Amino acid sequence: MSQRSLTSPTGRTSPTSDFPDPKPARVTFDEWQELFEQVPEALVEEYHYFPSNREAFSKYLFPPQTFAIYGMRHLRRLKYDNSLAALRMWGFVQNETERLFRARQTGRRVIATMGDLGAVPVIVNSFPRCTAFYPDCIWWTPFAMESRVLFDAAAELGIGDATCFSRAALGAFAKHSYFPDPDLVIASTGASCDDYSGVEQLAEQFAPEMLWVEMPMRCEMGQMGSMRPMLVQEYQRVVERMEKLTGHHVSDDELRQSVLAANRVRKLVKRLRELAFRQGVLPALEMMVIEFGNLHYYSDITEWTAVLEHLLATAEERAAKGERVLSEGALRVVWVTPPADPLLLTYVEDHGARVVGTEYVINQALEVIDESKPGLEAIAESFMAASLIGNSRARAQSAIDQAREHGAEGVIISGIFGGSHCAMEGRLIADYVKAELDLPVLEFDVAPPSNEIGRQLQTRIDAFLEVLRSRR
Amino acid sequence: MELIPRATFEQIRHERVEELIAARKQGTKVVGYFCIYAPVEMVQAAGAIPVRLMRGGQAAEEAGEKFLRADACSFCNSCMGNFERDQLYQQVDAVLSVNTCDMMRRLPESIEKHFGIPVYQLYMPRTSEPLPHRVAEFRRQLDGLAGELATLTGSAIGAERLESEIAAFNRLREMLRQASDTRRMNAPLLSGGTMLDLAATAWLLGPVKAISLVEEVLRILAARPRPETRRPRLMLGGSILTEDDRWLLEMVEEKADVVTDILCTGTRWFEGTVPERGLSPEVGGGSPLDRLACFYFSRPCMHRRPNSAMYEYAQRLAREFRVGGLVYKTLFYCDPWSFEVRRLQEAFGLPVLHLDTDYSTENREQVRTRVEAFMETL
Repeated sequence: MSQRSLTSPTGRTSPTSDFPDPKPARVTFDEWQELFEQVPEALVEEYHYFPSNREAFSKYLFPPQTFAIYGMRHLRRLKYDNSLAALRMWGFVQNETERLFRARQTGRRVIATMGDLGAVPVIVNSFPRCTAFYPDCIWWTPFAMESRVLFDAAAELGIGDATCFSRAALGAFAKHSYFPDPDLVIASTGASCDDYSGVEQLAEQFAPEMLWVEMPMRCEMGQMGSMRPMLVQEYQRVVERMEKLTGHHVSDDELRQSVLAANRVRKLVKRLRELAFRQGVLPALEMMVIEFGNLHYYSDITEWTAVLEHLLATAEERAAKGERVLSEGALRVVWVTPPADPLLLTYVEDHGARVVGTEYVINQALEVIDESKPGLEAIAESFMAASLIGNSRARAQSAIDQAREHGAEGVIISGIFGGSHCAMEGRLIADYVKAELDLPVLEFDVAPPSNEIGRQLQTRIDAFLEVLRSRR
Repeated sequence: MELIPRATFEQIRHERVEELIAARKQGTKVVGYFCIYAPVEMVQAAGAIPVRLMRGGQAAEEAGEKFLRADACSFCNSCMGNFERDQLYQQVDAVLSVNTCDMMRRLPESIEKHFGIPVYQLYMPRTSEPLPHRVAEFRRQLDGLAGELATLTGSAIGAERLESEIAAFNRLREMLRQASDTRRMNAPLLSGGTMLDLAATAWLLGPVKAISLVEEVLRILAARPRPETRRPRLMLGGSILTEDDRWLLEMVEEKADVVTDILCTGTRWFEGTVPERGLSPEVGGGSPLDRLACFYFSRPCMHRRPNSAMYEYAQRLAREFRVGGLVYKTLFYCDPWSFEVRRLQEAFGLPVLHLDTDYSTENREQVRTRVEAFMETL
C-alpha cells in the first residue's frame, strides 16, 4: 500500500502496513516503550497538530514515556490499548498544553470556555483562528502528575480540600503555566456543579474579561424545550462578544460549518461507543479520553477528527475480525461520573470487568446537533440533553437505559468527597438503579492523587466484582 | 437582660404549629420554603400558608444522614431529619424550592422521594445580571408556580389578592428593617440573637401577626434606656443561620454586639421592597408577577455569578453600621460561601473570624476559644 493512499491532509486515518497493529491487547507502559521502538521514523514524522503546519514542533506521535518524563508520572501505572491509533491519541492528547501555547505563538486567539462542557466551543470554533479549550479538564492533571501542586495553589485562593478535584483548574489559572492566559474567558454557570461555579468565580481575577453565560436548570422534563429560547439568547451574547474580540462577523454558514465539524466528531464517537460497549474493541481508559474529546477536541478539531477516524478504522477492523481487547466473558458495568483517577478504569479491567456504558456528566457533548436548524438554536437544543440540566432521576435514567441496552450486570458510581452534586446525587442515582433494574451498585469516592488505589477501595471493588460474578 | 425571652418566641412557635394543624384540618395547605428567593406573596395569595423551614440541629442532622451522604451540607441533612421529627415540618403539604446551590437544588428530590411531599422547583437563573431574557424566564417560572399553587389549593391567584399580599409583605419587610436599623446606634438594645428570633417568628406567623409582633418589639425598644457601654460592633455572614444556631450569637454577644448581617435568614430577606401598584411606571409598572420577578431576581446571594452585588451589599452594610469585624460561619461542604472567605477578607479589610462547622455540639468550647481570641484582636 502506498504512503500516498494512506495519508489524508490531516494524517493517516487507518491502520497501516508500516506498523501493523499487534493482536489487540492492553499493554503496560514498558511494553509500549518496546512497541514504540518498532514504529518507523516516517510515521513519527507524519502526524502534526494544526495540520497545515508541518514544522517539527508540531509532531506529536510520542510514547507515554515522553510525557512521563515531563511529569505525568501516573502514566507509568496505566494500561493502554496497543494500536497505533491509540498511541497517536495519547500523544495528541498529552501535548495539549504545548499546543495551546503554540496556538498563542502562531497568532491564534485562545479562548477559555468553562462549565458547559461541550457547547460553547462549537460557537468559538466558527471564528477564524480561534482556539477554545476547557480549563475544566485540568482536573485529571493532579492525578496524572501524582501531585498536589494545583490543589495547593487553589487552597491559597480559598478552595480547600473537601471539594471537587475541578479546583485544580483554579490552581492552573494561578500558575500561568498550564495554558496561556486566555484572551477571553466564557464561563457558563447554572446547570453545572457548585464547586466549579466557585472555581469560575475565583478564576475571574485572572481573566482579562469574563463573559458569564446562563445554562438553564430545567425544573421538569416537560419544560425542557421551552427553556431553549433563553439559551439561544445567551449564545447570541457569546457570538457578539467573540465578534467584538476578533473583529469578525460570523456568518450563518461559518456557524453551520462549525456545527458540521462538531457533529463529525460526535458521530465518530457515537460509533466508537457502540463498538466498544458492544464488542469490547477498545478499553475504558481510551474510551474516556475519546468521549471527553467531544468537549473541545483537545484544542485542534481537524487533527482530533483524524485521530478519531484512525481509532474508528482500528475498532471497525477489530470488530470485523471478531477481535476484542477485552474478553467477551468480562463482567459488564456501567460507569457513572468519570473517575478523576484513570487508574481506576485500568484496575477494574484488570480484575475482569469492562465498561459497557458511561454517564460522564457530558451527555450534552455526545448529542448529535440537529443540522437542519439554525446554528445557535440547534446547539441550544443539543444542550438540553445535558447531564446536569435536570434532576438526578434524569441522570439515573441515562445509566439505566445503557445498562438495559448492553446487559450490564452492575453500576459503578464514582464521586468526590465534598463534591456538591456527588454528595446529593450519588445515593439517589444508586436508589433509582436498584429500584428499576435490581442491579448491584458500587458507590465510592475517588481518593486524592496517589501512586496507587487505596487498599480499602481495592477491596470494595474486588468484593463488588465478586458479587457480580456470583450472580451469573 | 434579654429584650424578649427566648421562651416567648418558643411559645409563639408552639401556638403557631397548633394553628397550622387546625388550619390543615379545615383544608388549608401549608407550603414550606427555604430561601429568600421564594415568592411568599404568591403562596399566600393562593390561599396557602407559607412557612419558612429554617431549623438545623445536631439530632436532626444525624437523623438526616439516613437519607443523604455525610458530605451533604448539614442544613440539607437536618432538613431531612426535621421532616422526620419536627412537628412544624410535618405540617408541610408541599415544598417550594428554588434552584440556588447544588445541594438545595437536589434536596427536594430527596424530600419528595422519602417523604412523598410534592415539590415545586423554581428555576432562578444563576447569573446575576438582570438581562431581559433572564428576567423573562424567571417571570415565566412564576407563571408555572402560580399554576402549581392553584392546583394545590384549588384557588387561582387573583391580581387583587396578590397586590394585597405584596403590600402586606412589603410592610413586614419594612418593619423588620426598622427593628434591625435600631442597631445602627451605639450600644444597641436589640441583640443579633433576638433579631434572628424575631425574623424567624415573623416568617412563621405571616405578615399580619408578625407586623404586630415587630411593632410590639419596637415599642419595647423605644421605652428602654440605652446602656452607655460600647462594645465591638460585628457583622454576621456565611451559610444559612438556623433557629438552632442561636448559641453562636449568644456566645459572640457576650463580648460584642452583632449589629447587622448578610444572612439569608437575616437582612437579605427584608432588604428592599417589591414595587407596588400605582407607583411610577419605572418601578411600579407591569403586572404584580412582573414586579415580583424583577424584585426576586435582583436579590443578592453569594451563589449568583458574578457575585459582585453580594460584595457591594456587604460593604455597604459594613459601612453604614460601622462594623469592626465579621464573624463568618460556614457549614461544611457549603461551597458558595466557604470558597469566598479569602476573597472576602481581602475585600473587607476587616478582621474576619471564619468558623467552618457542622451542627455538632461537641466543638462548642473550641468555637468559644476562637471567638474569644477573635474578640481580643478587635
